[in-house]
Amino acid sequence: MKQKATTATATEVSEGAAVISAADDNERFAGLATILFEIGKLNGVNGYILRNNSSAIIDLAEQDKTNEYAILSIQINESSQEMAKQFNLSDIEYVFVEGKRAKVLCMTLGENKIGIFMEKTARQDLILKKILQ
Amino acid sequence: MTDAQSSTLQTIIGELKNISPETTTTALIFQNNGQIMGSLETTTEDQTKKIILNLSNIASEAETIGGIENLTIQGRDNQLNISTLNDLYLATVSSRSGNQEIVKSFTHVLIPTVVNLLDQLASMPKEEAHLQTSPFEEKSTKEPVLEVEDKPTIVPIPEPHQPPERFFPSTPTNQLMVEKIVGLMVHSDTVRIAPNILAQWSELYNGKQITRVNIEALDGKKTTCKFKPIKDTKTSTKGVIQIPEKILQTLRTDKGKLVMVKPVIE
Repeated sequence: MKQKATTATATEVSEGAAVISAADDNERFAGLATILFEIGKLNGVNGYILRNNSSAIIDLAEQDKTNEYAILSIQINESSQEMAKQFNLSDIEYVFVEGKRAKVLCMTLGENKIGIFMEKTARQDLILKKILQ
Repeated sequence: MTDAQSSTLQTIIGELKNISPETTTTALIFQNNGQIMGSLETTTEDQTKKIILNLSNIASEAETIGGIENLTIQGRDNQLNISTLNDLYLATVSSRSGNQEIVKSFTHVLIPTVVNLLDQLASMPKEEAHLQTSPFEEKSTKEPVLEVEDKPTIVPIPEPHQPPERFFPSTPTNQLMVEKIVGLMVHSDTVRIAPNILAQWSELYNGKQITRVNIEALDGKKTTCKFKPIKDTKTSTKGVIQIPEKILQTLRTDKGKLVMVKPVIE
């Protein structure tokens, strides 16, 4: 499942990842895509969603859950912004949500929003380090 | 949860501010139906409402990862953490510069232990719980006096203790008007129900988690499926159930018709 709209990215993505790009001049987006491609290979990582206003990469092992994961990461972003405002948390570095079966790490870096989905055994601290390095 | 249990939780939450005043600014413990069991006095009503509302918004989409066990929002200076303790949620906002170990041992060890103890006490028969809660009860200082038995007293043999059965009211049935939902984001196995109906059920069953509903069309076709609240606030959704195509076909019903809906209580 590979979707390309207008210009294609020069970014490395795994086979099967969905890529939607309207404008492709965002270096940071491309840089993050490369880091996430590497993170996607780590043990216990089920996939990721990287998006900004013009582009998106969705690379998930369970493609039938794309909608659920996309909605969840958007909801986490929106709701955590609201809570952060209410409690003066200033800039959010990351949001981490752990469920009974899996966990999600969400981050906003500039205009780029990331959602990384992983198994309970995965090391989110290492993933965080890789993104922030 | 009883008033005594709620008061215990309130006391222990209050201690958090005493132990680490510079670290914890907000602490709140609430049930999954939104009832507050204890909070720091610095926590405002607005903050409480916002936490519950936003947590429930995330939880409604978090089925795919198995609900929410833990949620952390890491800010530059402060951290908001929400963790589940059986049927309760504990939310704390703490400063990054403070002693996180104290907060962690409090929120991850002490409070969960107290909650578990309270749950155990609540599930015990009354007399047994009383014995356990007051082991140091003062014994009578009176000298034992031998009573002269005039006539034999008949002591009724106590009935064996049965564990108290959970009481649930009879299942309510709501007649709702069908609306069809379509779209990419629509789950084919999930209906959406007017929030006022869900609020009634939640109140009726004391916040017990209901995950499925029985739907019966007027011609008798039935199905059981998952449900979510209707989020559309623009239109009036009172008395409405939104059903995806697949379930409409199963029920052989359509938009504008009425169906009987009742929660599945397990």
